[in-house]
Amino acid sequence: MVRNFYKISEENLYILLDRLGKEYKIVGPVKRDDAIFFEYVNDASELVLRYNGRSLLPIKKFFLPPREILFEYEIIDNDVVIRDKLEELQKSRTVIFGARACDITSLEILKKTFSKDFEDPYVLTRTRTTIIIGVMCEDVSPTCFCYQAGSGPVPKESFDIFLYRLGDHYLVQVGSEKGEEIVSSNADLFSKASPEDISKKDIMAEKLIEKMKKLDIPELQSLYSTLTSIYEATLWDEYAKKCLSCGKCNFACPTCYCFDIHDEVDLGLRYGARIREWDSCHFLSFTRVASGEVFRKDRSSRIKQRIYHKLVYSVNDIGITSCVGCGRCIEVCPASIDLREIIKRVMEERGI
Amino acid sequence: MKNVYIPQKAVIENIREEAPDTRTFRIKLVSKTSKFHFLPGQFIELTVFGYGEAPFSISGKAVNNSFEITVREIGTVTRALFRKNIGDIIGIRGPFGRGWPLETLTGKNVLIIAGGLGLAPLRALIQHIIENRSSFGEVILLYGARTPQHILYKNEIPEWQDHIEVHLTVDKGDSTWRGKVGVVTVLLDDVRIDPQDTIALQCGPPIMMHFVSKKLKQLGFPDENIYLSLERLMKCGMGFCGKCTISGTYVCLRGPVFCYSEIRGFIEKIPEAGV
Repeated sequence: MVRNFYKISEENLYILLDRLGKEYKIVGPVKRDDAIFFEYVNDASELVLRYNGRSLLPIKKFFLPPREILFEYEIIDNDVVIRDKLEELQKSRTVIFGARACDITSLEILKKTFSKDFEDPYVLTRTRTTIIIGVMCEDVSPTCFCYQAGSGPVPKESFDIFLYRLGDHYLVQVGSEKGEEIVSSNADLFSKASPEDISKKDIMAEKLIEKMKKLDIPELQSLYSTLTSIYEATLWDEYAKKCLSCGKCNFACPTCYCFDIHDEVDLGLRYGARIREWDSCHFLSFTRVASGEVFRKDRSSRIKQRIYHKLVYSVNDIGITSCVGCGRCIEVCPASIDLREIIKRVMEERGI
Repeated sequence: MKNVYIPQKAVIENIREEAPDTRTFRIKLVSKTSKFHFLPGQFIELTVFGYGEAPFSISGKAVNNSFEITVREIGTVTRALFRKNIGDIIGIRGPFGRGWPLETLTGKNVLIIAGGLGLAPLRALIQHIIENRSSFGEVILLYGARTPQHILYKNEIPEWQDHIEVHLTVDKGDSTWRGKVGVVTVLLDDVRIDPQDTIALQCGPPIMMHFVSKKLKQLGFPDENIYLSLERLMKCGMGFCGKCTISGTYVCLRGPVFCYSEIRGFIEKIPEAGV
């Protein structure tokens, strides 16, 4: 893997993004209602370069949109013409600027999930046509625990370039051939990084790690065997009484990928579209089959589904846990259910 | 990259009334170059354009690169399918999933237990067994239906009886019914089986499999000798959408047929396991 280091000034970074904007659509952090969101921008000046922690919502929607048309069709007499929406997708080129380590790691999880026995062409095409320029967190958000999740504060892979702010300059870490290409074709904007600059990134990371270590929760991957032995524990019923089954945690999660598929048709029954839309394992309808049978009727079984998926099933399925420790589910939960507290309770159960 | 979400066009070649609200459709891919090869127990995703897509187990093969599915009219897609006629165009993806354990069955006695529409994926297996009859030991089918009218494949069962032993029961008889009345587990008392040398295969409503699993364990069947086909919401069929998982295992990829020893190992308990 490429691991070269460079330096770029904040001024030149804006110039770089404007140059990239000629070839790519640019996505990055913008401020709305006092929160940070990732959105398409027309001009790099709209981007918020300096902010603490992570955005309110993850970058998942740029790879697995909340709602997307998979294909359209036209029914003509007794025949049908299918128009594949994938072709349009293959032409698009996007740069996501400012992604944090948690979100960058979530892409690794999405890529693994969508390329097991089959390849999901929509998600994988987007990962292949998107350039990731990440930026190290300035500080942690109140609910962050990426260190324990093993996803941050510095990402291991899945980025093309990762930036660390050093005052009014950025240390530039290259993570892929594509990233190296961007640097070499804009060489006038970059300078060499000194060993001293490079060493500063570790100090920055250490500062954030120290804050997260105070949370007193274990590495998430160490919970696997405990969780498999306490599936029937009463602690899940306690959380079932609090949970509203609203699905906000799923929709705010960078790695929750479950979806529903349905067709929408015009009133004349001539044109149709196959739609894929995010779904939630907290919804009663999630497991309902045509005969009416629902396989996760109890709320506790649905709460467990999400937590066990992240910390147990995901390990069996793709070899890694799929909670990146971004804490967004904690921030958005209307019932104040806190995954970090659940983890502590699980640790206590281990003693029983 | 191949777009695995796009269905292939297929044509309805034949429609047969099977039972109340239940029909068997013979389906053939339109493309002459596409070969349709499936294993008994696998399923397909069927599109009725204008309505949507739903999973159906393959109920049998037919001549000339076509296959059959047996469908109960119960949801949006099946209601639309029931309005279709011979010659109409539909969409097909698949086949998907893992079918009945053909290699494990070779040389063994086979006990097939089906309830209601659960006979559909087992009919595909029965056809395979009859075609390769010498590869299997004693083969017994125990089948329970709601009423005599609801018995599927009525015209074929007499032919099956030339090759395999068949026992039927209905939940509720009528004036013409002279056979057994009761749930399918009662038929287990009628047959002599050696649990160590017999593979039991079951498909039916969750409540049926719950009691059959219990009964088979009482009779001394080892976990490895019991197989079940599970019904879950297999929306995409490819291990993505997450709706069919049990304990994180994708029924669409690793099932729908599972060995009882796998199901017993699931941390998420399911009704079909009978425990």
